[in-house]
Amino acid sequence: MSPRTTVEGPVTERPFNEQLGDFETKHMRINVGPQHPSTHGVLRLVVDLDGERIVSLRPHVGYLHTGFEKTMENRTYQQGVTYSNRMDYVNGFAHDLAYVLGVEKLVEARVPERAQRVRVILTELNRIASHLVFFGTTLLDMGALTPFFYTMRERETLQDIFESVSGVRMNYGYYRIGGLYRDVPEDFEQQVRAFLDTFARYIDQYKTLFMENDILLARTRGVAVLSREQALDYGLTGPSARASGVALDYRKAQPYSGYEDYDFHVPVYTEGDIWARMSVRMDEMVESAYIARQALDRLEPGPVIDPDRRISLPPRSELENSMEAVIFHFKLVTEGFHPPRGEVYVPTESARGELGYYIVSDGGSMPYRVKVRAPSLANLQSLEPSSLGGLFADMVINIASFDPVLGDVDK
Amino acid sequence: MSLKDLFERDVQELEAEGILFSSLQNLVKWGRSNSMWPVTFGLACCAIEMMAATNARNDMARFGSEVFRASPRQADVMIVAGRLSKKMAPVMRRVYEQMPDPKWVISMGACASSGGMFNNYAIVQNVDSVVPVDIFVPGCPPRPESLIYAVQQLQKKVRGEAFDETGTLLPMVEGWNRS
Amino acid sequence: MTAPTDGPEPVQVRSFDALVNDLEALGGKRSDFKGMISVSVPKGSIIEALRQARAAGLEMLTDIHGMDYLTYPGHRGKRFTVIYNVHDVAGRRRLFLRVDLDEGESLPTATGLWSGASFLERETFDMLGVVFDGHPDLRKILTPEDLEGHPHRKDFPLGETPTLFNDGRFLDPASFRAGLSGRDAGLTGWKGGARDGVVATQKPSNAAVASVERERSGS
Repeated sequence: MSPRTTVEGPVTERPFNEQLGDFETKHMRINVGPQHPSTHGVLRLVVDLDGERIVSLRPHVGYLHTGFEKTMENRTYQQGVTYSNRMDYVNGFAHDLAYVLGVEKLVEARVPERAQRVRVILTELNRIASHLVFFGTTLLDMGALTPFFYTMRERETLQDIFESVSGVRMNYGYYRIGGLYRDVPEDFEQQVRAFLDTFARYIDQYKTLFMENDILLARTRGVAVLSREQALDYGLTGPSARASGVALDYRKAQPYSGYEDYDFHVPVYTEGDIWARMSVRMDEMVESAYIARQALDRLEPGPVIDPDRRISLPPRSELENSMEAVIFHFKLVTEGFHPPRGEVYVPTESARGELGYYIVSDGGSMPYRVKVRAPSLANLQSLEPSSLGGLFADMVINIASFDPVLGDVDK
Repeated sequence: MSLKDLFERDVQELEAEGILFSSLQNLVKWGRSNSMWPVTFGLACCAIEMMAATNARNDMARFGSEVFRASPRQADVMIVAGRLSKKMAPVMRRVYEQMPDPKWVISMGACASSGGMFNNYAIVQNVDSVVPVDIFVPGCPPRPESLIYAVQQLQKKVRGEAFDETGTLLPMVEGWNRS
Repeated sequence: MTAPTDGPEPVQVRSFDALVNDLEALGGKRSDFKGMISVSVPKGSIIEALRQARAAGLEMLTDIHGMDYLTYPGHRGKRFTVIYNVHDVAGRRRLFLRVDLDEGESLPTATGLWSGASFLERETFDMLGVVFDGHPDLRKILTPEDLEGHPHRKDFPLGETPTLFNDGRFLDPASFRAGLSGRDAGLTGWKGGARDGVVATQKPSNAAVASVERERSGS
């Protein structure tokens, strides 16, 4: 359909204004996107403006709709891991973890300690990587080009770690039902420690570079405020909600994968403006580094996948000796495993908000229905109340501050 | 100096004075291939790797893609980075038509080149059915080095140094005769 | 910077059970599965149920989604179910409210209670075709305007296209997977993966596979 067709209705007349008297003016309708440098993906907004002030804002999404959920109904449970991280491609490990936890709850797999700790390390490092992209792109929208290069520098180090572990820089297929694909390489601990040791210095660098910058403070303090009531009304979750005073973090509320063992704070601000949303993420990066360090300190040698052969592949060395291993391998690769019937939902905390996979099994080797409760679609609804009455230029940074990833929105 | 004097003097002497001789074609090749400015058309995961190709480690700007232009009117090449959904396809065609000739298209990633792992109702199975593609880049996502290699191959194609699969030399892209 | 506050636990537990009792008084049926509490309420009382859940402290509506039970083996009942996922701000108490619907039935909208239900209901409408009465702007959100039908319904095809290779071979992805679902024999004839209640058909139902077979038999 041509983007020219409007569903918003006619452009409204501007109400009578004492200052301007009898001027008959109309609000100006502007179409932003879907191809636009600052919509963080293919997001289309139709904005009605009164001068520079926003009168109404309607997001149109669906330009990246991929049909993930329907496709996952036609793949086995193991193959689903390939799809989950491509939804929110910036924070792939979080989606993998949510999916894998859901299926493990269904199958009642017992994930070994080492696998859980490695998952926590990688997911927290991925959260740092996601927030780094957030800072890079938000500041790019504000016109600051340099911080993008600085944050991407850290991200490259993290992607090197992820590549040494899983083989790819992005869109990892490392988590499996029951644990991990394979053990981490020998220099994993040393690489992660090297990153964590220098990361505190880089955080200070970011704080000096942009978080205390006068222009940024002027553009973000008190701008696009979202109150706590509005946040609860619109179903906002994640760092953006914590910036408005909604103190909810599933790593504390319903701990999974061993998060109850780690000691960390959850930053909550009450201002609800763009600056608060940025500060929450900056503080979260520090906390994530701390969690990763704690998990790394507690890493003990051990198995990395549930030894139950009905859900996890046997190691290749076993295939030479044991016939049962060959049969299990064959069944798992060609057909997959059959979880019992039921519907499960495990809420987790991704870098954007509450993430959960509602997995429905009918006893077959492919899920009957996978519904992804992706945080960005619900978070996008908060764009309108926080931008109304504000300036158009502020709306641009406001979109960035909610950190939508359109793959997550459109699934 | 007059044109008559110019033709009577030695080429090397003139070069030392800063006067170079070349054909228009060579100049056009040199200019076009070394300043390919992409239009920002990042769709999905490949867009992040495209951004990574512009960061300090894999600097694509040294190959001429100094700046990604948001306006298609100022861009030469469209890097389709990510899965193209059927809702987005007319938008992409419109952006492509807004680009002035000569223009090229790099289809980055498996999803843009063939639909990738998404063989369903929502994804266009080959971006070539919407815009004419010059270079396909495999990968999911392709590494930034792959994308830079693709840009270099496109530069070769623009200069007329590219071969097709049978080994024949492809002509230099004229640009003003493209359909 | 503060850590999330722990709610007064004993009060919450009591009011949660009291809430479920009230919902059952509205006609709801409770079911538990692996710690997830679902209450299935009749269509007419869903808004009242949501209101009571909100009053009991489950202030956040996280998700509204639908399920099509058309091909669920052994399912007896209405075809669709819409599930509302509500929880409290502390994140500890979560309730799934389910409403069973038939084809053509509509539900009242929850946007009066939560403005955030707007996009979620639009997504359910787009994917499954469930109409929400009173929704301010019920139209498709994810699929293109010219797509007819509702993709997450089980009778909507996945839309796979066969892969054509340069040398003329073509592969049909659906027939590779056919054995997995147990319904179809596919290319190989193996019907593994059948589960209780699924009746396996005898011949491949795929036209592409049938044409390959015609080629093989030399017609």
